[in-house]
Amino acid sequence: MKRYLQLFVLCIILLLNGCADNEEGIAGLSMLKGEKTITVVKLSAVDDIKDKRIGIFSGTVHDAFITRTYPKAKAFMYDNTSDMVLSLKTGKIDAAMLESITANIILRHNPDLGLLSDDVFTMPLGVGFRKDTPALRDEFNNFLKEIRQDGVYDEMSKRWFVDDAEKAVMPPFKNPVSDKKLVVAVSVEDLPYVAAMNGDYVGFDIEMIKRFAERANYNLEIITVDFSALIAALVSGKVDIITDGIAISEERAKQIDFSDAYANFKTAVIVTKKNLASYDGVGITPVKTSFLKSVSNSFYSNIILEKRYLLIIDGLKITVIISILAAIIGTLIGGLICFMRMSKRKVLSVAAGLFINLIRGTPVLVLLMIIFYVIFASTNINPVIVAVIAFGINFGAYVSEMFRTSIQSVDKGQAEAGIATGFTKVQTFVHIIMPQALRHVLPVYKGEFISLLKMTSIVGYIAVQDLTKASDIIRSRTFDAFFPLIMAAVLYIIIAWLLTWALSCLEISVDPKRKHIKKEVEVSL
Amino acid sequence: MIKVRNLSKHYGDLVVLKDINADIQKGEIISIIGPSGTGKSTFLRCLNLLETPTGGKIFIEDVPLLDKKTNVPKLRQKMGMVFQSFNLYSHLSILENLTIGPIKLLGKSKAEANKKAVELVKLVGLAEKVYSFPDELSGGQKQRVAIARCMAMEPEILLFDEPTSALDPTMVSEVLAVIRRLAKEGITMVIVTHEMEFARNISSRVFYMDEGLIYEEGPPQQIFENPQKGKTKTFIHRIRSLRYHITSRYNDLYAIQAGMEAFCEKHTISKVIIGYVLLATEEVLCLQSDYSDINLNLSYFEKTGSLELICESAGPPVNPLEEGVLDDDIGLRLIKARCESVDYKYEDHKNILTLKIKEE
Repeated sequence: MKRYLQLFVLCIILLLNGCADNEEGIAGLSMLKGEKTITVVKLSAVDDIKDKRIGIFSGTVHDAFITRTYPKAKAFMYDNTSDMVLSLKTGKIDAAMLESITANIILRHNPDLGLLSDDVFTMPLGVGFRKDTPALRDEFNNFLKEIRQDGVYDEMSKRWFVDDAEKAVMPPFKNPVSDKKLVVAVSVEDLPYVAAMNGDYVGFDIEMIKRFAERANYNLEIITVDFSALIAALVSGKVDIITDGIAISEERAKQIDFSDAYANFKTAVIVTKKNLASYDGVGITPVKTSFLKSVSNSFYSNIILEKRYLLIIDGLKITVIISILAAIIGTLIGGLICFMRMSKRKVLSVAAGLFINLIRGTPVLVLLMIIFYVIFASTNINPVIVAVIAFGINFGAYVSEMFRTSIQSVDKGQAEAGIATGFTKVQTFVHIIMPQALRHVLPVYKGEFISLLKMTSIVGYIAVQDLTKASDIIRSRTFDAFFPLIMAAVLYIIIAWLLTWALSCLEISVDPKRKHIKKEVEVSL
Repeated sequence: MIKVRNLSKHYGDLVVLKDINADIQKGEIISIIGPSGTGKSTFLRCLNLLETPTGGKIFIEDVPLLDKKTNVPKLRQKMGMVFQSFNLYSHLSILENLTIGPIKLLGKSKAEANKKAVELVKLVGLAEKVYSFPDELSGGQKQRVAIARCMAMEPEILLFDEPTSALDPTMVSEVLAVIRRLAKEGITMVIVTHEMEFARNISSRVFYMDEGLIYEEGPPQQIFENPQKGKTKTFIHRIRSLRYHITSRYNDLYAIQAGMEAFCEKHTISKVIIGYVLLATEEVLCLQSDYSDINLNLSYFEKTGSLELICESAGPPVNPLEEGVLDDDIGLRLIKARCESVDYKYEDHKNILTLKIKEE
């Protein structure tokens, strides 16, 4: 018992330490885990990373570049900047390869990181189109030519690439009211191309797309998809255009069409200053701040700054909406499946059994992707609806079995008594079986509902910005590992608690003994 | 009121009801008695279609129950059923148990249903329990509520499926008292029961069921005091018997005696009486002249505690009780000393000697 207590206290201390000072805390953690950063030879040139662990974005051209140029190096795939930077800082990778402007912004936020090279190789950037929409691509290429001629391009280029992108202000945009709809997918990687600030998308690509929509009179809709899923979203017909600093590579050109290059993509390599030969170890001593101070700093930068709370509130709304709607639909599906499963007709019960096994055997993420990218591939359907359907089906498969066992756990005599009194089968079920089954099922149903709520955190895969995705986006801007994650965890706990409480009220209302009995009749004894 | 014609019920190969015919008039109180597993409950459950019969016809007030067009739930409203395991709705209070049917099915107002319900719980003596839940009641109380629940539907027929079998003896009488009280109200009742005294007092007619049939039926006096058929007698008198068939003079007397001793011990008969039985058996066999076909039957009457030994032997009539028939009367004297009575008769070409063993 005492040992557990000690362990618990240790965990708390480590966690607080981590909050108080990211760098030290993490270093402490990794030391505890026995991980050693290999720093025999300090890095001085790009070629020094040839046998090192290198972090790259999944689905980028860097993968092919490393395989070709540094076959001995080990590539680690990341889906967002914040995870990659965190890995670099904690020594899980030795170097990170990314876009040079993004790299510069990261360096400004992280004094302990340094630049090994900011021009490893250059690739042209293009906007992606489906191969069957050449007209749209041509229209866009004309637009590119236009803005290069009338000086708008230079203005944009200065705003995002030359000046400080973080201080850039987006020009006003009025979304045209038009029958022509243009759906654009971005992955909100980071400045200068696409980022989320003050509750809106900003960046070079966003400005470019908005200007294009305005000039060509398209009603614009922007959705978020993971970088690695951008091409899939385009090919499956979910969106018309993808853009987010996508380099024009041969492999990609096989699947999609690119516009003319609109900018050049310079690859930079960043490493920790400790490993950098050109750096002599001055100035990385972190400033010690008090715990409370650092929490309030984190709170400010993660929630107040750039109105990030808007992201959180929107994400929270989406999470709650998906959970509740999926639970409602899932309960209906579950009821239907349970009815089929208990039917005397063999066809129905076998079909229901098959459905249950099929859905329970499929990971819900795979189910979600199949429904989004395969079943609803060609329809322009709101991904929130897809999420509700996918989680509803999954929830239905699980609760149908709960319903069945709870109905079967009601004594057979109860139904016989109802039938013998003169109730029809349906009346017997409604008035006698269901109220009793409900009492059995609600405690487990509650648990299943909470797990549904937590499961919705994967909807980011199909371009829905829920609470988890919101915290990811914030992390990608602030590079603060702990605060957004812990905040997300706390918010999940709070919603789970609130929703469970609501279900508990229902539970009390179906328990006759906890329910307040109205004594309508006075019995004179 | 209830007419049953050629009713049969099979579960796969198992025949539970063979061929049941019965007519029950309005206001009659029918008790169904008989050994376990002879289809009494199944028959009762066929009457309100809780079990679907395999064949035959049932008419409730001339409405064919098995016709597809018949509104069975509507008919069931007129036929209450009291179960062995009470089956009170466990999620409802006693009051709600009594009012749910009238409100949902008979369309009564809540106030009206409550009023009637309170009257009924008073009638069964449970007025203080109206707001209790079924699991707070004893078995006897539950069964009284179950009866009241049936009465709340104002039925014309009440079916009782072993209403006291799940109760411990101290609670049986309270439930029977309630049923007795209802019997005076002129409701037609069909009661499956093992309470013989109760069946005898309350019934207008008794059905004895055996072999999947209504084996014997009649007024209670006839069934209980003077049953006509063998199986009925055995059941009514609660007779246990042991039978031996002897085909030669050199039979194994010791094996027979050992078997009889074990039988008697099983029924906790005293050592002295066992001694009487064994001696009587030996002497009775000595009296015989023809050993080719002797049936020896020892019966124990649970109800009275008496023992009877019957010896049937084939052959010409020989009455050992007549003077001068036997060489000496020592054997006979030994027998008579241990028996209350010894009778002889000649029937179906058989000498039948009946010995009633003395009781302590």
